[in-house]
Amino acid sequence: MASAELRLIRRRIRSVESTMKITSAMELIAASRIVRAQARVEAAQPYTDKLVEVISNVGAASGGASHPLLDIRERRVAGVLVVTSDRGLAGGYNSNVIRLAERRLIELRNQRTDTRLYCVGRKSNSYFRYRGYQIERSFLGVTDTPGYGDARAIANTILNEYAEEAVDSVDAFTTRYVSALTQTATEWPLLPIQPPAREQSADEIATGYTYEPNPESILNRLLPRYLEASVFGMLLEASASEHAARRRAMKAATEAAEELTKILSREANQARQAEITTEISEIVGGAEALTAG
Amino acid sequence: MAASFQVDVVSPEATVWSGEAELVTARTTEGDIGIMADHEPTMAALATGSAEIHTGSDKITVAVHGGFLQIYRNQVTLLSDRAEIVEGDADAARQQAEALRDAEEAAQEDQSE
Repeated sequence: MASAELRLIRRRIRSVESTMKITSAMELIAASRIVRAQARVEAAQPYTDKLVEVISNVGAASGGASHPLLDIRERRVAGVLVVTSDRGLAGGYNSNVIRLAERRLIELRNQRTDTRLYCVGRKSNSYFRYRGYQIERSFLGVTDTPGYGDARAIANTILNEYAEEAVDSVDAFTTRYVSALTQTATEWPLLPIQPPAREQSADEIATGYTYEPNPESILNRLLPRYLEASVFGMLLEASASEHAARRRAMKAATEAAEELTKILSREANQARQAEITTEISEIVGGAEALTAG
Repeated sequence: MAASFQVDVVSPEATVWSGEAELVTARTTEGDIGIMADHEPTMAALATGSAEIHTGSDKITVAVHGGFLQIYRNQVTLLSDRAEIVEGDADAARQQAEALRDAEEAAQEDQSE
């Protein structure tokens, strides 16, 4: 029987179709999660805005406050924090960030600056471990739906390292959620803290504040909160970007699968037709032979 | 009727409460503070405890754990690491705030291990 080819093609069609079911389901899931992740980015915004406002007010009122977290010191050891996802199937989402971070790591090594690496997400963790980088600390299982506690854990870790002078700066490599269509891998400086730009003019802030207990201890408490809020915002944006990237990747995969089933079913039709033609010519040939005999 | 002013209670995950109020009481690290309209600009660190917001007709009790209180131009902002609206009186709120603190300490111990 000539149906072996036909059977093979039909089997491939079935397999492509079941893959398509999975990718289109993942696309729908990712699409619904983008909305939620985006809402969380927006919900976190007021806190960050207010915190920035408070910090710039305190900074202005205490007359260019100095604080260890604000001081730029000579960079002997650079901390690098890489934010990726735990799961793949998100197109170039993870590799974009990793590429950016690795380029920086190599650059720093060429400048003879030591580095300490912190990884968020299983993907960056396994990438850098496989390539023989030493990872100081990794945070897994936070990127899907990051909570404030996760942000606090990460912020505390790098704060401690900074306070112990194990690192002199910390830069994060992460994905910013620009819009539903664009997410860009970027470098995000975390430490030393760059005080947010002041929006008000000087005379507006001149109204002296009453501090309880005093400006220094308020600033002491404010700056770590600010770092936490930055890390939290960063994680939320990374998570929204991850879902957006996954949705796009899965959409492309579903479309490719549709195209493939179309091509394969044409091939299957051709094979079936060839089979019928052979069968007919065999019958006709047989009948001819009989009448001739 | 007392003059009212804008109050925002904001936590990292969401805006907990926002609206007009006539009196706000909160617990700072230095002690309790009561705020009415036209209070002088103040910046205070919040302790673990309850905050009460009195609007003309209603009283909202919020459990607060840590954070800051800013009074500026007749605007009161409570920036708290953890804040939750509590049904019931100040004691319930205080208990809730302590529960928030305990939850956080437990989480931090987990990390250090």
